[in-house]
Amino acid sequence: MNFKLTEEQELIRKNMREFASKHVDPIAAEIDENSRHPAELFQKLAEGDWMGMPIPAEYGGAGADYLTHIVAVEELSRSCASTGFTVSIHVGIASMLILLFGNEDQKKKYLIPLAKGQNLGAFVLTEPGAGTDVMAATSTAVLDGNDYVINGTKTFTSNGPTGGTYLVFAWTDKAAGRKGMSAFIVPREAPGMRVGEHFKKMGLRSSQTSEMIFKDCRIPRENILGQAGAGMAMAMAGFDHGRVGIAAQSVGILQAALDESIRYSKERVQFGAPIARQQAISWMIANMATDLAAARWLTYHAAWLKDQKQPFSKEASMAKLFAAEAAMRHTVKAVQIQGGYGYIKGAKVERLLRDAKITEIYEGTSEAQRMVISGNVLR
Amino acid sequence: MPTIIACFKWVVDEAYIRKGSSGDLVFSTVDFKISEYDRNAVEEAVRLKEAHGGKVVALTVGPPGATKGVKDALSRGCDEAIFVADTSFENLEPSQTAEILAAVIRSRVPDFDLIICGEGSGDLYAQQVGARLAEHLAIPCISFVQKLGVAGVSLTAERKVERYTEITSALLPSLVTVLPEINVPRIPGVKDTLTASRKPAATVRKEELPPVGEPRLQTIGIAAARMDRTCEKFGADEAELARFADALRKKGVIR
Repeated sequence: MNFKLTEEQELIRKNMREFASKHVDPIAAEIDENSRHPAELFQKLAEGDWMGMPIPAEYGGAGADYLTHIVAVEELSRSCASTGFTVSIHVGIASMLILLFGNEDQKKKYLIPLAKGQNLGAFVLTEPGAGTDVMAATSTAVLDGNDYVINGTKTFTSNGPTGGTYLVFAWTDKAAGRKGMSAFIVPREAPGMRVGEHFKKMGLRSSQTSEMIFKDCRIPRENILGQAGAGMAMAMAGFDHGRVGIAAQSVGILQAALDESIRYSKERVQFGAPIARQQAISWMIANMATDLAAARWLTYHAAWLKDQKQPFSKEASMAKLFAAEAAMRHTVKAVQIQGGYGYIKGAKVERLLRDAKITEIYEGTSEAQRMVISGNVLR
Repeated sequence: MPTIIACFKWVVDEAYIRKGSSGDLVFSTVDFKISEYDRNAVEEAVRLKEAHGGKVVALTVGPPGATKGVKDALSRGCDEAIFVADTSFENLEPSQTAEILAAVIRSRVPDFDLIICGEGSGDLYAQQVGARLAEHLAIPCISFVQKLGVAGVSLTAERKVERYTEITSALLPSLVTVLPEINVPRIPGVKDTLTASRKPAATVRKEELPPVGEPRLQTIGIAAARMDRTCEKFGADEAELARFADALRKKGVIR
């Protein structure tokens, strides 16, 4: 058993920390407040090969392993959970699904620009009536000559307004049940695809989220990803990868909550002494540090399993479930430790609390994770 | 096509040093980093190479665990590295380090054109190694450099000295020690880090070197700096203001 990152992974973590302190920390509060997508920041992330870390070099990536990518997402999320998430879904789901299931032409045409960070990838599955219940989706794709024609409405699409390459899921054969859904690569310029307005959210505000409306959206037949009917299996594989990313994002949020809590409780004096000396405060911090360690190892273990080419679906769900709930639990405490000061806009802990909530919801709610986990352990 | 040697020291990252309960310093959980000014030295060497061609050799002396530092330097654009490693090299004195570096340069990179060092290391900041190394190699040493240019067989350096700047030139080979003002070190990209370990890195052992002089300094103890603060409250009436002035006089703040 070896609990040590490699020297390369440690250096990459350090470089990401330096990158984030230099380029992300100074704008994190502003992009949250204004719900702004920092295109200039993503340009810099692309230059540092952070947008395609685990994608092989032949497809424009850096050729790192998945764990290295996860460590970077964690470190980035420690500064800004929105930015960490945007990278995570771009790499962990959109790019990863094309890498896993795309053919050579698709990889050359779509994966290379994604891995180089020339455009953002989006995962377009959720519909107004189909969240955790994916089978309730109604979008369809019908073959018409050499084109597929997609119709339907999607919602809560992350990277919707800012995306360049969309992985869209629709029924090609509804009667076939789970084997009737297919996935399509839809470029931004596809006729008939309209990006709705950017939702104003409670947290994760600089991540851009919208509806996606498909009205007779026509894409060439060769844009189907993998086999027709394999969409559901691909979505599940996407979730497995993406959930490790959300777990890493949650770990980053937790680390930031701990950093902030330690800093503040050593500085803040009440009753003649730093509040860190109060057992009520120091125990909150002890619990936070313990859950952080547990969440981090669950997350790294899931990523490590993926790198070992072993099944990691259950572990990804466990990591995501635990890390997300821990992030929520402890960002509340981090605000509590800072009292009134932590409740004021501009206090980092206030943003952390709002950002933490989404981790229990997207890429499978905590309830959905429990379904996956119980399904695995009860069988 | 110049050959540039960038010297660096792998030092304790001070952000990780903790204060123990008895005022001692705890190093058990520290991480290490390339000393700050040495990062500027590496960066300047790589920029010169990018402008003029040639190659950059990163050179360091330290305990065998410093391999991460070698990869770090290589990820910053150096072409190859020489790592002089021994467990006894943990707390070398500047005079010893300079001796070792000189011996290695003479035997491994005798045809160098330029050596760049940081002005001082992040831990000792003795500012000795650069000057001593130049002396050993009998080449000019230009310190406090904040701007550097190389043209043909000579270099021009802008030195930041007291209240003025001095423009100096020297024939190559020379040695310069640089200030942080000289550049902003790059943050290596992911590929830079992943490919670093594929670059040539030679390890030199203590046995391959001439004997190094004995240390002249002995560290007896290290303690956290302690700043005593006192707090005294004064009122706003005349008598209190007089008392306030008295207190400042006693402290020597006013006369």
